[in-house]
Amino acid sequence: MTLGKNIAIPEDVQREGGLLGPDALLERLREVVQRSPAERTEAVYIGGRSDLTRYAASAVTQNVSEVNAQLWVRVANGRRLGVASVHASDREAWADAVQRAHELSRKQPENPHFDDFAPRAAYERVETFFETTARTTPLERAEALRRAFQAAERTGRELSGTFQTSVGEVAVVNSNGVEAYQPLTGAYLKVVALPKGASADAVAGLAMADGFARDFTQLDVEKIAHRAMETSARCEDVKEIPVGAYDVILKPPCVAEVLQWLSFIAFGSRAFLEGSSFLAGKLGQKLLGENVTLYDSFREPEIGSLPFDFEGTPKRKLLLIERGIARGVAFDRLDAHEAGTESTGHAGPPGSGFGALPWFLCMEPGDASLDEMIEGCERGLLIERFHYLNGFLDPPQAVMTGMTRYGTFYIEDGKIKHAVPNLRWLDSMVRAFSQIQRVGREREACVEGASGTFYQLVPALYIQGWQFTGQTG
Amino acid sequence: MRKPQEQEALQAALQKLKAQGASYADARWERHRSERLLVRNGQVAALTQHQEEGFGIRVLYKGAWGFAASPFLTEQEIERVAKRAFEIARASSLTVKEPVTLDDWEPQRGTYESPCERDPFAVPLDGKLELLFRADEVLRKAPEVQTAESSLHCHTAQKVFLSSDGAEITQRITESGGGLEVKAVANGEVQQRSYPAAHGGDTAARGFEFIESLQLVENAERIREEALQLLRAEPCPTGEFDVILDTNQLALQIHESCGHPVELDRALGMELSFAGGSFLTPDQRGKLRYGSEHVTITADATIPGALGSFGYDDEGVPAQRWPIVERGLFVGYLSSRDTAPRIGQRSTGACRAESWNRVPIVRMVNLSLEPDPDGPSLDELIADTKRGLLLCTNKAWSIDDRRLNFQFGCEIAWEIQNGRLGRVLKNPVYTGITPQFWGSCDAVCHPREWRMWGLTNCGKGEPMQTMHVGHGAAPARFRGVKVGGGR
Repeated sequence: MTLGKNIAIPEDVQREGGLLGPDALLERLREVVQRSPAERTEAVYIGGRSDLTRYAASAVTQNVSEVNAQLWVRVANGRRLGVASVHASDREAWADAVQRAHELSRKQPENPHFDDFAPRAAYERVETFFETTARTTPLERAEALRRAFQAAERTGRELSGTFQTSVGEVAVVNSNGVEAYQPLTGAYLKVVALPKGASADAVAGLAMADGFARDFTQLDVEKIAHRAMETSARCEDVKEIPVGAYDVILKPPCVAEVLQWLSFIAFGSRAFLEGSSFLAGKLGQKLLGENVTLYDSFREPEIGSLPFDFEGTPKRKLLLIERGIARGVAFDRLDAHEAGTESTGHAGPPGSGFGALPWFLCMEPGDASLDEMIEGCERGLLIERFHYLNGFLDPPQAVMTGMTRYGTFYIEDGKIKHAVPNLRWLDSMVRAFSQIQRVGREREACVEGASGTFYQLVPALYIQGWQFTGQTG
Repeated sequence: MRKPQEQEALQAALQKLKAQGASYADARWERHRSERLLVRNGQVAALTQHQEEGFGIRVLYKGAWGFAASPFLTEQEIERVAKRAFEIARASSLTVKEPVTLDDWEPQRGTYESPCERDPFAVPLDGKLELLFRADEVLRKAPEVQTAESSLHCHTAQKVFLSSDGAEITQRITESGGGLEVKAVANGEVQQRSYPAAHGGDTAARGFEFIESLQLVENAERIREEALQLLRAEPCPTGEFDVILDTNQLALQIHESCGHPVELDRALGMELSFAGGSFLTPDQRGKLRYGSEHVTITADATIPGALGSFGYDDEGVPAQRWPIVERGLFVGYLSSRDTAPRIGQRSTGACRAESWNRVPIVRMVNLSLEPDPDGPSLDELIADTKRGLLLCTNKAWSIDDRRLNFQFGCEIAWEIQNGRLGRVLKNPVYTGITPQFWGSCDAVCHPREWRMWGLTNCGKGEPMQTMHVGHGAAPARFRGVKVGGGR
């Protein structure tokens, strides 16, 4: 059962949100599939409206709104596939996309890994649509920000960041009878606080907090801004430290960023099939620490998202690492066929060529509070966030580099002593995730942007011996 | 646009916005068409065509911006989008501290078309696939090769720009590119080589003739063999070395450590909450020594066929050429019509949008390290290096939020001993601090060694905008660079 079939989206919300609505959209996609000249056809649609307000030094600098609609058509003639896409929602443009996909398929050689599109399926219900979010206005965002700017002014700070809302719908229909529809809304606020008048070269006092909610009314603007300002005040006193190995306490956003990269270089089907993933040929082996359990889940108590992938395969919980043992990777139908297994429901939009990736990476929580981790640290660093990671250096060892950002604190004898400059690090994540001493008991849903299409649900981690190679004072 | 009435409707919307109190408004309509072919291990892994068109309206009201966009070009939708852009600008004006002022560029009227000898969309698919299959076959002629990828892509953009003060510009830009990538695996080691560059190869604002000039098939065997050599190679040693960077790695080095920090919106703090700030703040212009006297970096949107070239930027400002770093001194910024007045200048014409649905922001054009007319050839530079490394083809990149602390990984290194290239070394990584690194540059090769690279994956802004930019360079040498193995 798709949620879309049970939800009524008011007509004015559909019109202003650039939505076609469940009934009309599925009907239009059915039409695409039925009128296709190809033997088999799959149609994928994403549409809706996104609004984004950017601000810097406590003033709005950019304010945009976009309605968009994209259709992908993938057709199969025998094992010959063709993909075409178009940003439009009129029948003429859609028919043209079908025709182009059909023509492309006829010029291709057979793909031995294609057997069929996904079979008809039922999907779990996930509540991802809130009318309150869809009805948000630019004025509401500006007024909420103005209140936050006034609060910042009182503490001698300025705010920069983004405030986004989105309303959208995703649907997949194919000639096997797949009919999947999910409407989504989201609101995302990012606040960077810095001392008033600080230049673009500032490091001291720069701190960030963010938050995501599918229901706009649940996004606490004041609280998020307060968190950023509080951390900003704590990281004004910056002192350099010698670089080298330190124990680190990574807050959830740092863990989330590492997992985003692992999703790409380790837990995706292409990396696995190419042999560059550290899991390649090692399923069933213990590769990470006993306290590491990672899985992909579209529905957790804290957050939920699409219950199907872009092939219409239902999503289910996918175990990737269980108590340090490699258990699985994400597959779409083509790569699953190549690997001799089944799709796990992780197909991306047709024709991307990137293979399947886990979108909703979650880590099992542990039993430590953040305070306990800090108290248990003799000499180490508490890190708020990472910046600009890159994991292409040596994927079989998951070697990554990156910087710290928005607050890095030196800990000695269980107490935070002072902030330190942003540090560069270079380390193997296979090593690091084998050296986790404590796992946080609270998890944070880390989401970037208002669509909430991807997330990581992760705890803080205490890891021994993280390798730092430089700093920028 | 399909009909003249559509342009008239956009013009009418701009005039109505002026009548409502907007001090300025512009409209941009764009149509994009792209095609991508990827052959992986003897199979077509991707063969996709994409088309899109739409329009965006930007409004300046009481010193604040509003922008709205839609793919549906109807009179009713133009009216709705214009109204929304105005509402957004009015909401933005609630928080104005320094009202936006635009520079004094005269409204432009003109057309531009990028050079294109052979329309890449007119080349039959069979011929394109055959080229990729031939390269793929050569790449896979070794049992250690786990993945061989050959790809082509082409893109064309048609644009119409209109402004409330009378600008009217049409442009058509065609792009073509391609590349090879081979991954070899043995004993738990994975090594890759790419040609002519990783991450999709090289791209130019030219027709299919550019793809032909890449000679993909002719270079397949060499990179396959180099990937196999890397499987057997020793790791790159750790320490301080004199390093020669090839032009592809220099393109990334210029991009990350010079291109981004000279974006004026970054330098003014407007990107602080996403990509970051810049160590090149306005008070440093004309004072800060960015590099050695060998380092001259120029921005130039007028180079025919380069990926960052155009006739006019997306604010209707003509393409220009101007200095960024002159003999080591930081002198110039990339700017837009609303950022340039804040440092007493007018736009350099570097305000660009990814497509119709994005607001233009300050972006790179073609930013290049100038060759030294009296400089050596690459062979002469190697011969002049006693103990060092030649690092080729970017593999990984990372830089801090102020663009000071960088680390790059390359696909392959060659040891240089007493002026000769020696053994191949794997996983080379180097790191540095931007002005110190460019300050250590003691030689840039001759113009004959200079070449332009096209990058299609420059990300910036929220919502994220991916921009196509160009970087030219001749190989250059840097003394005492901190190098470490990437494991």
